[in-house]
Amino acid sequence: MIAEPCKGVEHRLQAYLDRALTPEEVSLIEVHLGECQYCRQRYHFEAQLRTTVKTVCCGDPVPGDLVDRVRLAIRQSA
Amino acid sequence: MSILADSVDRVARTPSAEAHDRALFEEEALGHADQLYRIALRLSGSTQTAEELVQETYLRALRAWRSYRPGTNLAAWLATILRNAYLDEARRRSRRPATEPLDDESEYFLYDQLSGGRLEGPQEALMSKLTNDAILQSLEEVPEHFREAVVLVDIGDFSYQEAADILDVPIGTVMSRLHRGRRQLKRALASHAIDGGEDPKRA
Repeated sequence: MIAEPCKGVEHRLQAYLDRALTPEEVSLIEVHLGECQYCRQRYHFEAQLRTTVKTVCCGDPVPGDLVDRVRLAIRQSA
Repeated sequence: MSILADSVDRVARTPSAEAHDRALFEEEALGHADQLYRIALRLSGSTQTAEELVQETYLRALRAWRSYRPGTNLAAWLATILRNAYLDEARRRSRRPATEPLDDESEYFLYDQLSGGRLEGPQEALMSKLTNDAILQSLEEVPEHFREAVVLVDIGDFSYQEAADILDVPIGTVMSRLHRGRRQLKRALASHAIDGGEDPKRA
């Protein structure tokens, strides 16, 4: 049985991570996260997941001569 | 600094001054090449296509450079062009956006699966069930419309509003696609996660 405040946090968690909530909503969530281990663990997981996805998806090396090749393409099309 | 004053200023530019402006524009625009490449790579899933898209973006950008308003968001302006180039490319390959699956899971279903129902456990152990390949593969499996929103906001660091401008849809549409895209990414991650954690070779 999940408590109502936990449902509320689950519902708003992504918006919270997006910093898309009002200051009042943020403070309600932060108070709840401070007292509820169930939500806190899940919040940490969701936050870490975003960081991990971003790190992995930005981890590809950009070709070192990309800009040079773009410049060449620009000159050739001129 | 009105738009009118700006355009009057431009009309009055001599050819050499205009060439100078264009060169400055080109340099500033090229400063965003890495960011555009990463977005292109995550949209297309191919390094070769990503580079072609970046080149095409710059060719289009330099043809249209006079329509860029100095002082506005150049990264978002370039990303809009990139996204259009990507759509044209996708149309050529006739990729179709997949249909939307149902969206009724708990926010935490990935967490629940990775933790195997155990209440305690270090975050690192959960995250280590997601390999880099699994994450990249999972993102590719997110249907196009939703992946675009995730790539722009979660990977490209654009705001909801910037993503809405780039995708030319209302901000509410971006938020809804982002929500569904994240859910679908998690669903894909759940299917690619290392099972149980006891025997990684079973993945």
